[in-house]
Amino acid sequence: MTVNETQTDKIDASCRVPLLVLFGGAALWLVVGSLLALAASLTFHMPDKFGDCPWGTYGHLQPAADDALLYGFCIPAGLGVALWIFARLGQVPLRGALVPVIAAHLWHVGVLVGLVGIFVGDSTGFQWLEFPRGGSALLFFAYLLIGLWALMNFSGRREVGMFPSHWFLVAALFLFPWIYSTANILIVGWPVRGVVQAVIAWWFGNNLVFVWTSLVGLGTAFYFLPKFSGRPLQTYFYALFAFWTLLFFGSMRGVPAGAPVPAWLPTLSSLNSLMLVVPVIAIAIIGWKTVVGAAGQECKGGSFCMVKFGYVAFILSALLLIAQSCPVIGRLTQFTWFGTAQTQLQLYGFFAITMFGAIYHILPRAVGIEFAFPKLIRVQHWLAMLGVFILVASLAVGGVEQGMKLNNPAVAFADSTKAMLMFLRVSTTGLLFILLANLLFALNIFVMILAWKWSLVKSVFAFVISPLNKTEVKA
Amino acid sequence: MKNGFVIFLAAFAMMFTSWSAFVLGPQLQLGREKQVPVLNSTEVYPRSRPGEANQGLQIYRVNGCAACHTEQVQQDGVACDLVLTSVGKNEAAVRNAFEDGVKQNNWPLTPSQDLQVKGSPEILLHNVSKEIAEAASDKITAAGGKVEIHIVAVGPDIARGWGLRHSVAEDFLYDNVVQLGSLRIGPDLADVGARLADANWQLLHLYAPKSVVKDSLMPPFRYLFETRKIGDAPSPDALNLPSGFTPPAGCEVVPTPEAKKLVAYLLSLHADVPLYDAPFTPVVVAKP
Amino acid sequence: MWILVLTLTLLFLGAVYFDRHSGWFDKQVYSPYANAVMLDSYQPKSGASAAAAQGKRVYEQICGVCHGVDGLGKPGQAPPLAGSDWVIAKGHNRLAHIPLAGINGPITVGGKSWNLGMAAMGAALSDADLAAVLTYIRSSWGNKAGEVTADDIKAVRASMSRPQPMSLDQLMALPE
Repeated sequence: MTVNETQTDKIDASCRVPLLVLFGGAALWLVVGSLLALAASLTFHMPDKFGDCPWGTYGHLQPAADDALLYGFCIPAGLGVALWIFARLGQVPLRGALVPVIAAHLWHVGVLVGLVGIFVGDSTGFQWLEFPRGGSALLFFAYLLIGLWALMNFSGRREVGMFPSHWFLVAALFLFPWIYSTANILIVGWPVRGVVQAVIAWWFGNNLVFVWTSLVGLGTAFYFLPKFSGRPLQTYFYALFAFWTLLFFGSMRGVPAGAPVPAWLPTLSSLNSLMLVVPVIAIAIIGWKTVVGAAGQECKGGSFCMVKFGYVAFILSALLLIAQSCPVIGRLTQFTWFGTAQTQLQLYGFFAITMFGAIYHILPRAVGIEFAFPKLIRVQHWLAMLGVFILVASLAVGGVEQGMKLNNPAVAFADSTKAMLMFLRVSTTGLLFILLANLLFALNIFVMILAWKWSLVKSVFAFVISPLNKTEVKA
Repeated sequence: MKNGFVIFLAAFAMMFTSWSAFVLGPQLQLGREKQVPVLNSTEVYPRSRPGEANQGLQIYRVNGCAACHTEQVQQDGVACDLVLTSVGKNEAAVRNAFEDGVKQNNWPLTPSQDLQVKGSPEILLHNVSKEIAEAASDKITAAGGKVEIHIVAVGPDIARGWGLRHSVAEDFLYDNVVQLGSLRIGPDLADVGARLADANWQLLHLYAPKSVVKDSLMPPFRYLFETRKIGDAPSPDALNLPSGFTPPAGCEVVPTPEAKKLVAYLLSLHADVPLYDAPFTPVVVAKP
Repeated sequence: MWILVLTLTLLFLGAVYFDRHSGWFDKQVYSPYANAVMLDSYQPKSGASAAAAQGKRVYEQICGVCHGVDGLGKPGQAPPLAGSDWVIAKGHNRLAHIPLAGINGPITVGGKSWNLGMAAMGAALSDADLAAVLTYIRSSWGNKAGEVTADDIKAVRASMSRPQPMSLDQLMALPE
């Protein structure tokens, strides 16, 4: 083994326990979130069965499902991947891994407190911010610790140059505490007056669901795509340009057109959304130039496939977002399932699938154990792709249809909901596929955790029964 | 970019811009809003909600009603109606002026309208632009008639009766949790207190949506109600359910305090007052 | 590079869009209105219809509580206004005194005697609002009497030196 390889092994091993906690909890919340989303979807097909208990209503199930996906899976997975990428790019192992481990546990406890809070009746009522104060405080504190550790690792890096992944991930690390604390203080803690609450909630939702996930997901993609394709990121200039324009225009949007706020807010928001065309073009060019025609790995349903699919999903999701801000299309799709479709494409189709690809690559290297069911990885990938496609396509088309009916006053409102039922049935099928894919993912992760714990037990046992050295025995 | 600090500074600057535009700006502009005067009146708007309705808002929040319902009316545009209030002394002159305007100046008529001036008050021109309304007003006033230009809001939400004008910041001034909503799986609720003012209908709809709205997708909120045995006499609060939804014999369905508070909140939702930033001419429906 | 040119072009178009639609940060300009001038031009002039709607609103908030939203009165609270001679009298003077001064002692409405007393519920209203309410009750529920203007109310107020609740005799002593 060369010196470089042992160094890499050390780096990977240093991240082992934090990653196991982060990714293990993330896998659990992913499955929980899919189950809740499936239940929420079922309430439309059998509304009467869900009326006896508050926990069974759509108003409890859907926010819980969304938050479980975002806070339970997306953020911890992103943090774990960021930790590992910093360590690898900087060629410095993660020191003091106990702190991120504790922070990761705190994070998962926070998610649990938050989800229970939603069901018990403490939801704050704002989308993406439903967790009650106790849960959000835990999440904030845990994120600070992990972010701090990642930044310490980054600043202590041996490899002084910065890669594009660094820019994206560092920016994301700073973004979350700012937006999360602002939103929680100004909406939940000491609420501002009136409709300003809604504006801050929109700002927060956009910055978390679109900007943060895009930054982390693209940072991950810009690490793995060159690695798998076997050639460096093409080109540095486009990556720099994409970073600045995505961060600037992406964060200055979020207020929907026609909102009950003075006209400058939705106008500013729309024009920045339209400007997003520019980073999307740049990102498409980067992806095309880096991947197409490169003599890299074959795509066999493994990590490379997943990161590529996630990348394309990002471009599509951003295009849908831009479309929603155009005056004509936006008027049609506002208040419809189209927005849900775009969000699911962003969170699951882009971010989650990119994270799957990253985790399947990272975890065996960090833990030193291969996945127990490698063939299931490919099955999971196909199920996830199929599920996302069905879910997003059905909700997007259904949303457009719903919008056309809503905008036609001659059509009774009941007809617009009736028209949606067929699309909702199809979307439930998509959710089912996604649930199956998530179960397979969780299966691989949990078995690996068990295998690692078993190997720990075995090594302790081996140490205990090993024959003592002569010098250790006192005469 | 080799320097981490440079990235941090520039990223900080961008996030600061975003924060200033969407957090600081709106707070400075709207955060200290007070009541505003109602158009053509000495009243102020909004009135603060009674305590039960405020508690109902919390129940609305906790049950996630905003996941399916919005509380914001949208308006696509604004138009004018020309209303004839008096034909004056020379009815024929007014009629001629009107016919003249329609033929020569292309004043638009609604499909069911003819050129007869039937008597006042009557809407002569509906949903026309301001220029046409003002020109028509001048022409008919010159012929001796008295007209009024009414401002009307235009849009599918308005046409559906979901509100009389678009929602503005003042509508949410006293909401301690603003529940605007983002999906219309159910109808918009901004003006539901004016549209469906019957507390009994609201309670029935919460308990068994399908009993009042055919094919409703809304889940029945049965846990907000109590099904109990009828005591000495039926409770005055008991719901009057249609057949197919009645409780078992000898039982009655009574709303819990939460249900009553939620209904009080729903009935307090009004967006039918003209304001400077959402002008329209309120019209009184003639009483029989 | 071409992508920078594209960005600058889009920014320019965005600025034009902002100029047209944003109302330039004016707090009162909302989405269908392009700017403050347009908003100002669409303010409705207060005509008869506006006054009628205003009258209805004030009535329902203040008078309807006792006199009923349908004008039929409530036994033990207030007499009916529908068909009441006091309301549809040709002149408005006696009618205007009632909400401005209040009533003390028995009063006959529709053949029945009512002795419940009435506070000066209209004393706090502006001239325009009280005029609107009186116009509203004079033209609703089958009542067909002429309108009352804000100037009329102003004149009545000016003629009242120290408003005390009026008795039936005092009311009948007034000109109609």
